[in-house]
Amino acid sequence: MSAAAEHHVPSSVKIAPPPAELERQPLVLQNRSIGWISDHIAGICEGPAPKWWLPALLMSVSLMTMMFGCIAYLIATGVGVWGLNQPVAWAWDITNFVFWIGIGHAGTLISAILFLLRQKWRTSVNRAAEAMTLFAVACAGIFPLIHVGRIWYALWWLPPIPNNYGIWPQFRSPLLWDVFAVSTYGTVSLLFWYTGLIPDLATMRDRATSKVKKFLYGLFAFGWTGSNRHWSNYEKAYLLLAGLSTPLVLSVHSIVSFDFAVSQLPGWHTTIFPPYFVAGAVFSGFGMVLTLLVPLRTLCKLEDIVTVRHVELMCKVILATGSIVGYAYGMEFFIAWYGGNPYELAAFKNRAFGPYWWSYWWMISCNVISPHLFWFKWCRTNMVFVFIVTIFVNIGMWFERFVIIVTSLHRDYIPSSWGYFKPTWVDICTFVGSFGLFMTLFLLFMRYLPMIAISEVKGVTPQADPHHPMGGAKHGGHH
Amino acid sequence: MKVIPPVCPEPDSGPQYFRSPEALADSPELREWAEKEFPAGASELSAAESRRDFMKLMSASFMLAGFGLTGCRRPTEHIYPFGKQPEGYTHGVAQHFATAMPTRTGAVPLLAKSSDGRPTKVEANPLHPDQAGTDQFVQASVLGLYDPDRAQYFRKNGSIAKREEALDALSVLGRKFAANQGQGLAIVAESSSSPTRTRLQAAIAAKFPNAVWASYDAVDSSIHARAASLVTGKSVQPYFKFNLAKRILSLDCDFLGGEDEMYRYTRDFAKGRKIAKADEAKKDDLINRLYAVESLMTLTGGNADHRLRVAPSQVAAVAAQLAAEVLKQSGSSLSFDIAALAAGAKVDSKWITECAKDLVAHKGAALVVAGQRQPLAVHVLAHAMNEALGALGKIVELHPASSPAKSLADVAGAETIILLGANPAYTAAEVWSQVTKTAKTIVRLGYHEDESASGVAWHLPAAHYLESWGDARTSDGTVVAIQPLIAPLFGGLTESEVLARLAGTNSSAYELARETFASLTGGVLDEEKWKKFLHDGFLSGTRSTAVSASFDRAAAAAELAKAAAPKAPSKGELEVVFHRDYSVDDGRYTNNGWLQELPDPITKIVWDNAVLLSRETAAQLGLKNGDVVAISAAGRSAEGAVWIQPGMADFTLGLALGYGRKWGRIACLDKFSVGFNAYPLRVTGVGFISGVSVKATGRTHQFICTQDHWTLHGRPVVREANVDQYLAKPDFAKNFDLDAHTDYLVKNPDGSIKNIYEHPYKTHPKLASQTHQWGMVVDLNACTGCSACVIACQSENNIPIVGKDQVAKGRELHWMRIDRYYTADPKKKQQGGMIDAFLSNAAGTQGNPETVNLVERDELQATKKWIDDPQVVTQPMMCQHCESAPCESVCPVNATAHDDEGVNVMAYNRCVGTRYCANNCAWKVRRFNFFDYNKRPIGGGKLASDLFSSNIGLYKGPLGNRPGDEIDLVTMARNPDVTVRMRGVMEKCTFCQQRIESAKIAQKVKAGASDDVQVKDGAIKTACQQACPADAIAFGNLLDPKSKVSLLKQHDRNYTVLGFLDTKPRTTYLARVRNVNPAMPDAKIWSLEEYKDVTHSDPMKGHGHAPEGDKKGAKH
Repeated sequence: MSAAAEHHVPSSVKIAPPPAELERQPLVLQNRSIGWISDHIAGICEGPAPKWWLPALLMSVSLMTMMFGCIAYLIATGVGVWGLNQPVAWAWDITNFVFWIGIGHAGTLISAILFLLRQKWRTSVNRAAEAMTLFAVACAGIFPLIHVGRIWYALWWLPPIPNNYGIWPQFRSPLLWDVFAVSTYGTVSLLFWYTGLIPDLATMRDRATSKVKKFLYGLFAFGWTGSNRHWSNYEKAYLLLAGLSTPLVLSVHSIVSFDFAVSQLPGWHTTIFPPYFVAGAVFSGFGMVLTLLVPLRTLCKLEDIVTVRHVELMCKVILATGSIVGYAYGMEFFIAWYGGNPYELAAFKNRAFGPYWWSYWWMISCNVISPHLFWFKWCRTNMVFVFIVTIFVNIGMWFERFVIIVTSLHRDYIPSSWGYFKPTWVDICTFVGSFGLFMTLFLLFMRYLPMIAISEVKGVTPQADPHHPMGGAKHGGHH
Repeated sequence: MKVIPPVCPEPDSGPQYFRSPEALADSPELREWAEKEFPAGASELSAAESRRDFMKLMSASFMLAGFGLTGCRRPTEHIYPFGKQPEGYTHGVAQHFATAMPTRTGAVPLLAKSSDGRPTKVEANPLHPDQAGTDQFVQASVLGLYDPDRAQYFRKNGSIAKREEALDALSVLGRKFAANQGQGLAIVAESSSSPTRTRLQAAIAAKFPNAVWASYDAVDSSIHARAASLVTGKSVQPYFKFNLAKRILSLDCDFLGGEDEMYRYTRDFAKGRKIAKADEAKKDDLINRLYAVESLMTLTGGNADHRLRVAPSQVAAVAAQLAAEVLKQSGSSLSFDIAALAAGAKVDSKWITECAKDLVAHKGAALVVAGQRQPLAVHVLAHAMNEALGALGKIVELHPASSPAKSLADVAGAETIILLGANPAYTAAEVWSQVTKTAKTIVRLGYHEDESASGVAWHLPAAHYLESWGDARTSDGTVVAIQPLIAPLFGGLTESEVLARLAGTNSSAYELARETFASLTGGVLDEEKWKKFLHDGFLSGTRSTAVSASFDRAAAAAELAKAAAPKAPSKGELEVVFHRDYSVDDGRYTNNGWLQELPDPITKIVWDNAVLLSRETAAQLGLKNGDVVAISAAGRSAEGAVWIQPGMADFTLGLALGYGRKWGRIACLDKFSVGFNAYPLRVTGVGFISGVSVKATGRTHQFICTQDHWTLHGRPVVREANVDQYLAKPDFAKNFDLDAHTDYLVKNPDGSIKNIYEHPYKTHPKLASQTHQWGMVVDLNACTGCSACVIACQSENNIPIVGKDQVAKGRELHWMRIDRYYTADPKKKQQGGMIDAFLSNAAGTQGNPETVNLVERDELQATKKWIDDPQVVTQPMMCQHCESAPCESVCPVNATAHDDEGVNVMAYNRCVGTRYCANNCAWKVRRFNFFDYNKRPIGGGKLASDLFSSNIGLYKGPLGNRPGDEIDLVTMARNPDVTVRMRGVMEKCTFCQQRIESAKIAQKVKAGASDDVQVKDGAIKTACQQACPADAIAFGNLLDPKSKVSLLKQHDRNYTVLGFLDTKPRTTYLARVRNVNPAMPDAKIWSLEEYKDVTHSDPMKGHGHAPEGDKKGAKH
């Protein structure tokens, strides 16, 4: 707060507040003070753990352990413990990879693109969404690593280091592009998330009651004092990282879609994939953000910060991206027919009416029908309803990847080699276990780090505006 | 650390030597200097205990303290190089020896490869005058040598005995029976063509005149000789020359698959199917035409131009109708009273008359053959037709035959039975138990301790032919040598040794073979002749001379008079055909993993046999695929699961022999996984039985089929036309698929499509080898689908078997597969023809029955009418070696790449197993090692049909334990020139890279200083090419314009599968041309009709486009 703000403003100069109908709906409800915000958000980490937290963590850790057990079995025995075969050489492994990578998209979109577009409502959801991104990328990263037949060589040969025969990795392979795309995305997302955390870590440090906490939060807060210089550097860094992340939002899933689009398989080989995948990723990402935040805002009593309006806005994003996805499904079929390639047409007919017809119709019902319920305000504002729909979005988006991968592979060009894929218990447990990893990380995050960006939320409250009637330092509150 | 010279010990007395005065004085200056000069070792100059001293002291004290580490050393194992290199042996260079594999009717002349003393591969002996490639049994015989379940011990009443004891026991038996002229002695042997056997048989007959010599084969081909002898009155056997026939009629004769000598018949048949060029003048004589009358869908029926499916009993009636018609139309003087016999069969009379007309029109070039399953009457009718068509004595050459031996039943009452090889306790349990009731002593020479090994007094392990000395005659009569490539692994005996012991001599098999050879070559053994015999593998000039004989009408008529008019089968009185299995023969190869995992060429089922029946029969009996049924007839019964097979005769069940074994790691994986035993239902020796009833048991069985999908969906993967269509448009094969629609694309000057991104080989021609560019052509007109190539590839390239549960998951590792499609009238396909009973079933398993007409479902195809009379096409499919290979660009680690000779190669060491290459392969020819199949124990596998079952038994990961005998034995069959792949690695056809490289090296050595390094055409044969009896595969250098492969690629029938993808495969196919008789009913090429129906375009017109102006027709 500058000293100038402390002067009383003559009443003649005072500007009357705008009429009520022009007043924007506040981003923090009930006119909560800056101090309340700090206390409330930091309180989630500081107070005793809610009763549900430990059981939830234990369950998640068990699932995660199950996943690592399955992975150990897989690596020790062979990829054959999954249900893969010829011709379906990729199935749940890559489905899960694309699914998790897609989930990760909401975080960066919220934190980067919405930041650049000055969408202030992002502040109350971006921290959790970014964390979710990181954890989803961690889950996603596991699958391409373990799906290979000889992981011990993959780790050796995939980094771009030529071996002693001068052989580099194959730069024409989309799988290598994946390595770069996903690792870049993961790194930048982590930096972005961590940069945003620094002021809040300092808050946590300042509030810490035990020495250990003080030391640890202090260590990671990098000596943040909240000086002008710090804030100036911070804002610059944040803006730069937002600029860096923005193209990544588009590039990662475009490149993941190249895994399919670059091949020559009917059903994979289509140019629509990059935009369609990005839209689908944002769609699924927002679905997952809502799946997590809708219960959390009640459980952690965050209704005033993560308001119904926030949920509604995110539902609108789901509606928009869901419509793009639905359009892409239709367009795929149109092109398959209009393109005149009988093999492609057969592949799409087979998707809808072949042996995997059920997975296709699962996908259509979840991804095309369910988001359109959000045209209705009631649907967007009823939290139970939103939660259920987002669950369907998650299911639908998993099936989308399953449909693309498995139905295209199981019947391609030559009928003699057609086959069928069935998952084994290892497939199922590995996938279910990956939710355990995701939830474990998320539960630890919400318990030990401020789940909502305290400083940013404060920044968008009316109190932060020195010219606002309630603004300035006069009502107290500290950063 | 710097090493300083050790300090010279200073002697206590005598002169003292010093390096410098300072050293003598041991001055502080010197010490300082030394510290500077040798800082690390300076202390050694002065310190009382140096580091070395410390080490010495410590090691000494450790030893004293008993911590000596000597006990931890590896045990000493000395290896010694050859003190003297064996002559002609170069380490790592394989040697080849001529030998032969004896069969029921002759022998297959072979050239066996010995890698460091182990036989690893067999090929046809190219020197033999009548060599004809190999078949799947010959190729798999190498694995049989290393079967860990072989009989390994001499056993007396079940307990292990010494070899010498066993031999002595045989001598004792011989002496005992010599006393009573052989009274009570019976010898049961399988048929053999060995001259040594003939000689010893004669010796035994002379020594034991009262002994019974019986010949027993579970699948008996002797009917051919019996029929020929009957109609000629001489002791002869027929020698069919299919290559001379322009028209062939098969009366239930599966000469391309089930008959003995199929590899030779395939060669001759394929010769008549090959097309050098579109010669208009020849019209439909361009290739031969095959009419097949049969009840099972066999390879012969699959290759037939016209196929008539009738129940096995009705073949006689159809044969009678055909014979009557042929005799009438040919104006032959022969006539028989066969109207009654002919009356029963209900067949399209046009089929009979037109077929007869065509045969008669080709008098002198027409051949009728009757199958081994059919009774004598059918054979007699066939010979009568041959006589009328002028084939008897010409196309059917008559060779002298030995007089028939007694049968197994004649052994009854013998006190001592010597059983050589056969397994009657399994194949003829009923007769065998009768026969052995009175026998006190049974001596059995057996390759396995199987069913017939129980209760015998002596069980002697038999030697494999690759570890035996012997001889045989090929079917043309030529004497061939059987020489061992390895000493008997378990000290086994040959048949000749056992017989010789009985006859009172102690000669070894080697001596016996030499004695026989001497008697064949003039009485005295000429070492030079013997050496040449062994080198060439055969004795030239021993071919049988044809016997001229006239047709004995009276004998034929008498035999025909005995034949009763057969009653047609019905729902309540079914018929059963027992057939020799394409994989396990009569059961002798049940324990051979390669053969068990070889998909049946027609059904594509692995590790199983099935009760094959037609759609109509299944519908009437209310059965569906997998239902287990109890089959019973006249007090006999068997139980097996049902498989609906297209093209089966109605009310006929096809039961393959040789499964349902109760021993052996492969033969008996578990009680469900190796099929069922059909022998108990069979009257010993017969080919089919009537009056059979079937009852569903309510249980089901899961069949594992490598090709679930039957139809081509009009996709021009296989391209065919009829002879007249081909002659009208010889390049028809180029007018299919999307690559026929490239008019609008920019072209290169040579007519090929101009790519946006040219292949580096084109833009940088120096990258490619200017000497060799490899390519392959597969002639679909020659390929019969016999699958010998698949086993040859498995043997050459160290491809492991993966087990039934793994094939069930679609993980078979075969680098090449034979695709088999059924085609039929597309209009019939659209008619639906569903059976209601199946709809509910299908809905439960594969989804929505409403949409069945949109997408073909695998289970529902078995219920549709179109499968009743399908045409069959087969296509060998392996890596196409694309020049712009889609697999290569997607591999992230460069594990699959192109070599400069145009071969798509795999660097197994670099492969990390992302499997992306497999996904991006349009031909789906890449195979992945999902587990360490080479380290998995062979037996004990249960089928994991349950989604959640992990107890698949076949592979237990690193915790699994593989019995030592399997590792020791099975690995001996490996080809040392090919890497054995571990898990997590992708593999595929390499064009037999190892053969290419060794031929190149050989040529370079030969070329010496000259520049002639181009491998000569024919010097490299891929394993599949070499095994192929039909010579359907050509491989060679595309840069050599005169090479066979280059010439074939110029052929107008040459086409590329999925060529429109523009990946430029190096493997191309010659389109198939059928020879359908337009006068016959249903004379269409159905795959072509399907294509036209699906794509609305006609490859026979223009460039695949519909007529000008018909916009709708151009739609694809």
